Order: sequence, then C-alpha cells, then structure tokens
Amino acid sequence: MNQRTRSFLIGSAAVILLGLGTGLVAYYNGGLPILGQSSDAELHYLPASSAAVGYADVRSIMASEFRQKLREVLPTGEEKDKIQAEFGVDIENDIDTMAAAYLGGATGKSVVVIVRGRFNAAQIEAKATEHGAVAEEYKGKKMLVFTEASGDTTATHHSSGGVAFLEVGVLALGEADAIRQSIDAAATGEDVRKNAELMKVVNDVRGSGNAWFVGKFDAIAAAHTLPEELKSRIPAISTFAVSAHVNGGFSGAIRVDARDETAAQQLRDVVRGALAAGQLIASDDPRVDTMLKSMQITGSGNTVGLTFTLPAGLLDVMKGLATAHGMPHAPESTPQIHK
Amino acid sequence: MSERPEAPPIVQAHRAPETPVVAAPRRKSAAAPGFLYAAMRVFELSIGEMLWSRRTVFMGLLCGVPVIIALVLRGLRELGASPINVNNVAVNGPVIFGIIVWLLFIRFIVPILGVFYGTALIADEVEDKTITYLFTRPIPRSAILVGKYFAYLVCTIFVVLPSLIVVWLLIVPMGGNLGPSFPDLLKDLGLLAVGLSAYGALFALAGAVLKRPLLIGLIYVLGWEPVIMVVPGYLKRLTVAFYLQGFVPHAMPSDSPLSLIQELFRETPGVGESVICLVIIIGLSLWLGGRAVSKREYVLEQ
Repeated sequence: MNQRTRSFLIGSAAVILLGLGTGLVAYYNGGLPILGQSSDAELHYLPASSAAVGYADVRSIMASEFRQKLREVLPTGEEKDKIQAEFGVDIENDIDTMAAAYLGGATGKSVVVIVRGRFNAAQIEAKATEHGAVAEEYKGKKMLVFTEASGDTTATHHSSGGVAFLEVGVLALGEADAIRQSIDAAATGEDVRKNAELMKVVNDVRGSGNAWFVGKFDAIAAAHTLPEELKSRIPAISTFAVSAHVNGGFSGAIRVDARDETAAQQLRDVVRGALAAGQLIASDDPRVDTMLKSMQITGSGNTVGLTFTLPAGLLDVMKGLATAHGMPHAPESTPQIHK
Repeated sequence: MSERPEAPPIVQAHRAPETPVVAAPRRKSAAAPGFLYAAMRVFELSIGEMLWSRRTVFMGLLCGVPVIIALVLRGLRELGASPINVNNVAVNGPVIFGIIVWLLFIRFIVPILGVFYGTALIADEVEDKTITYLFTRPIPRSAILVGKYFAYLVCTIFVVLPSLIVVWLLIVPMGGNLGPSFPDLLKDLGLLAVGLSAYGALFALAGAVLKRPLLIGLIYVLGWEPVIMVVPGYLKRLTVAFYLQGFVPHAMPSDSPLSLIQELFRETPGVGESVICLVIIIGLSLWLGGRAVSKREYVLEQ
C-alpha cells in the first residue's frame, strides 16, 4: 500500500468519522448547537411528569419583522405598559425565552412558566408583597405565594399562584405546587428530558421554529373531561406538536402522532378534505386562497403534519379590518427603546 | 648392461584418514504462509491497483450522482423553492433521503459496483495474463480470491459510505433534524456495507466460474432481480435484494406513487432471516469461488 492509497483511505475515513460525529452530537443534544437551537437549560426546570411542554424564543420573536407588522395591526399593549410600570419588566425587551409545562391533573390548573431575562427582583418582590403574596423558601429558592382568602376561618389557606426566583435572571410563574415540582425536578434531575415519549417529539420540532408546543393528547383530554361522543370520534392520537417560525413572515407546522397507520391515514384524509373545502369557500379571496394553498400535508407512517405560511399580504388585510373597526394600533414607525 | 635406474617407488597416495563428511546443513524450506497471511498480502498488493484504476473513476462518478442530486435539492430549498410534493403531500428531508438510499444506492449503485468489481477480481488477472505470477507464489490459490475480495470491499466502502454521509448531511435538515435520523443513518451505512459484501461475493464467484461474468452479472442485476422482485411467489428469495430489504429502516410516505413502491415490498423478510441468508450467501460464494480458483485451470489466450 503506497502513500497515495494510504492518504485516500485516511481522508475517506475522516469524512465518515466527521459525519458520524456530527450525527452523534445532534442525536444526544437534540440538534446541533451551532444552529442556534434552544439549549437544554430551558428544559431543566420542567418536571418529567409534564403532560405538555412549550417554549418560545421571545427575544427573536419580538425583534422579528412580523412582530413589527403585527404591532401596526393589533391594539397597542396597554397591559404591557401596566406590567412594566408595576413590575419593571418590559415584555418586549427584558424577556429572552419562556418555557412552560402543563402538569395535567384533574384540576387542569397545574401550569408552570419558566422565564429567562433581566428582572428587577426587588421591585417584583415588593409589588407581589403589596398584592398579598407571602414570602417563603423552598429548597433554597425564594418563593412568593399568593393565597386565596377563605371565608371559613378553620380551613387552611389554599395557595394559588406564585412566583419563584430560581436563579439570577430566571423566574418561575404559575401554581405554587407546580413551581415546587419544577424546583424538585431541577434538584433531582428528573426533568422533562427523562420523558422519552415527549422528548422524541420535542427533538423533532425544536429545531424547526422559535416557538413550539408538544403535548400528550391523552393526558390533556383526561384533565379536561371531554364528552364521550366527542372522545369516540377523535382519531386515536398519542402526541401532538405545534411549532412556529417568526421572522420576516410567519410559518408554522402542526404535527400529530396517531396510534397506528390506519388512524394516521384517516386523519390525513380529514385534513385533506378540510383544506379542499376551505379552498372552495375562500376561492373569492386570493390572499386567503394563497394562505390555504400554502398549507401542505406532511408526514408518513403514524405521523400526520400540516405546514402553513401566513403571507405578508394577509397582515395588510388584518390592518384594513382593524382600521375599519376603529381599533387603535401602533404607528408604523415606533422607535425601539433598548435598555 | 647398465642398471636401470630404480623406478621411483610407487607411493601409494596416502589417503587421509576418512573423516566423516559433514554435509552442508540442509536449509529448511520456508513454511508456506498461512491462508490469512497470504490473503492479506494479496490484499495489500491489490488495494492500490484497484483504487487507482479506471473502474474507480466510474465508481466515483456513480457515487457522485446522489451527492449532486442532494446539492441541487438543497440549493433549490435554500433559494426558496417550495418543497417536493407527491399528491399534495410534502415530502421532507428524511423521506427524500430514504428514497435516495433505497432507489439509488441499494437498488442501483451497490449491485452495479458488485458486478463491475466482483467479476473482475480474477477475470482481470486472467485477461492481463498476470494470474500466472500469482499462482506461482507458494500461497493457497483461494487466498488470492479472498485477498482481492477484501481489497474490493475496502475500496468500495471507502468511496460509497462518505458519499452517503454527505447526502445525509445535505438532505435530512430539509424539513427534518439530523439527531432523530442518526440511528437510521447507522442502519443505512451497515446496509450498504452488507450489500457490497453480498453482491461482491456473489459476483466474485461468477467471475471465477463463468466465461462471460460481466454480461451475466449485468443481466442478473438489471434484469432478473428487478423483475423477480415484483413477481409474487418464492422466486424473489433467489435474489440478494430481497434479503437486503429486511434491513431497510425507512418508512415511505403512504400516498401514491411512493406508496406503490412500498406496496411492492410489503413482503419483506425479518431481520434475523435476512442476516442469516446474507451471511450464507457471502460465505458460500467465497468458498465456492475459492474452490473454483483452486481447481480450475485457466487457459490464457495467446
């Protein structure tokens, strides 16, 4: 074997190893870090028993052109200004990412939202205390719990919402019990990354957009008791996912994993029929027609997917409608104040 | 009368006392190299020849076609072209990759490489009249075939597998993610390696036994296998492609016309059955080919 042959074989082996190494990194990390996908830090505080998880890269969404156009269309955020005045949090600039988990359960209220960004902890604590929150500590994390006042003096106060300071720049919002579960998840390592069923779908969708939501249909349907007639007519669905990519436009994808191929095929037929019906009805409006035509059915085997794109022209339609209804909206060029 | 001078006395030549003649130490003839050692020597000799031959240019072009297709598809996608649709069903990257692996690599590239390289392992040596030099070596003749087979395997694997990986890196991120499809990639790499081994062994046997192995090999790969695979019955079990199907990990989209392809291959063997049968094909082909090379008398055309 001469040098030339040896060099070729080494080069070829290097290509194979590089490809395998890239694949391994992507497989274990749920995607390549350099592609700017959400890191696992977002999932660190979401319990493994979550029935549904969601994530939004708030910063990139707020900075997107689509968002700027939407501000021209939708009413100005008076609530947003109120929050900033009260808590010192500018939703548009101070929040980087949000991750949420729905823990299921009979009450349907077990939601925790993990917010990362820049917060004035002292101001938040002061305002929360002013509104009746009680400070407590849970496993080294400071929590502010709002309690519901009860008319019966002998009954214990039932805690409702709360906020916890998990780390510098990380807040947890939601039901107090849910917040405690998320603190436990981070402490024990039993976070949603250990939930193989959900993570399989999360890893598929997390790279496809700057916001996504994944859930187990059974757990959510059980928490919200559906009528038996409706339950029996819904195709057997195990998990579902919604992802959205917001930049210059808005594109999204919905994905459903059915229990078997027959159910998936039936669902595809239903979606195809609905699209055809929509195109028939909306054939007069070219913009809506364009949007419907942008919807495409994807997926194979047990998976049914639907991708769609909102054309820029549709926002103009919405703006026209808003103006016709006298809805206030932001002027077209609003200076951005960056801290 | 004068006296004759005395003849010198006949002196008997004294013979030195017999000393035992020690024969020069007999050189022990070098032990013939073992089968595996001989095969590895042939491998080292053949790998360079095989890699830098004209056949490798053909192989490079063949393996370059899927890469070019992948580059074009990816380029179109980056430029904003709409995704490929089949009957209003958008086909994403992992599915396109599965189609490329099945239709291009497994059903065309791998068998063709097996034919062109496998049949030439012994036939080329006979044609070039260099087989004599190999046969004069004190090595088992079957080791020549096995060594050349290993050289073929290394040569083709180190060209085909990088091509597959490049296609994977280009195609899968189109509407899909690299991470979840990595296990499928590993299965595909193994599948190609097994396919190259099986076809190579089969056509090495053909090359050692038949007179026109290339022609017969092409008829088998381009004629017999594709036809028999769609004919219902047991005849498809006489093909290599039938057993390779058992390893194919990809799910095809279930809307025509791709579902038609899928429907054709509904009858697939189990993974265990495929492994056993392919191992038998490889082992039996190499053994029979080795026997043929050992026993056969190759008449070199003058």
